[in-house]
Amino acid sequence: MKALVVDDSLTIRRIVIKALDLAGITDVAEACNGAEAVTAAQGGGFDLILMDWNMPQMSGIEALAKLRAGGCKTPIIMVTTEAEKTRVIEAIKTGANDYLIKPFAPEQLAEKVKRLAPSAA
Amino acid sequence: MKVEYLNPFVEGVDHVFQTMLKIKPERKGVKLSDPTKPNGERITALIGISGQVGGVVALRFPPATALALASRFLGMKAETVDDMVIDSVSELVNMVAGQAKARFEHDPPLRLGLPTVVQGADYRVSYPAKSVWLEVPYGSEAGEFTMEVTYSAN
Repeated sequence: MKALVVDDSLTIRRIVIKALDLAGITDVAEACNGAEAVTAAQGGGFDLILMDWNMPQMSGIEALAKLRAGGCKTPIIMVTTEAEKTRVIEAIKTGANDYLIKPFAPEQLAEKVKRLAPSAA
Repeated sequence: MKVEYLNPFVEGVDHVFQTMLKIKPERKGVKLSDPTKPNGERITALIGISGQVGGVVALRFPPATALALASRFLGMKAETVDDMVIDSVSELVNMVAGQAKARFEHDPPLRLGLPTVVQGADYRVSYPAKSVWLEVPYGSEAGEFTMEVTYSAN
């Protein structure tokens, strides 16, 4: 089980990686923006992607749209400060499998990961 | 700036600090911010909000508070104000602004900029002349800090 963590904040990447560890996922790659995420994900090999929304160069929602348009079927959880219902709906319509609003407790993310990728538990 | 605009930001600070850091900050009133007042060495993380209304929210920390908060955030002791500490405080203001803008319930949602961090001693951050800034001082187990907010309809 391998995950890709996409966030321009190193702090948040560290916290997400800790949450993944709680969920039993220790094989993790990192990307700092949507463009890096698209390049990494198109290379394949990921079972799960954790994606921020607001990032420089390419946002998470743009990256999500590109990945789904390109046929990527990897489960994607948006992990973002965008807390409005309209944003959640936009992300789900674009192809996100789940959505977690920052701030969050690592246990909350670990639970979502276990539900979406049960083989990690 | 209307004082009621302040509440979503105050609620944002409470929620972010309690959820991510397990810290309950203690608010110590509200006052007009005086940008000309020397404030000693501070690390200021600020972020813009735009859309039907616009504003800026800033969190201002003495270095000791920034180190304590980053240590709590990262789960490891931060001893110098390095890139990781700067990143931690910028993420805090990002989350506070995100929580505040959701509480305003604008449709379409307001937009967040990317956070900026300024550090140094006795610097003055100048804002457009007509802006009125409100300052909320806080105490916490990680040390003191302040939130400053300006917010108005465009």
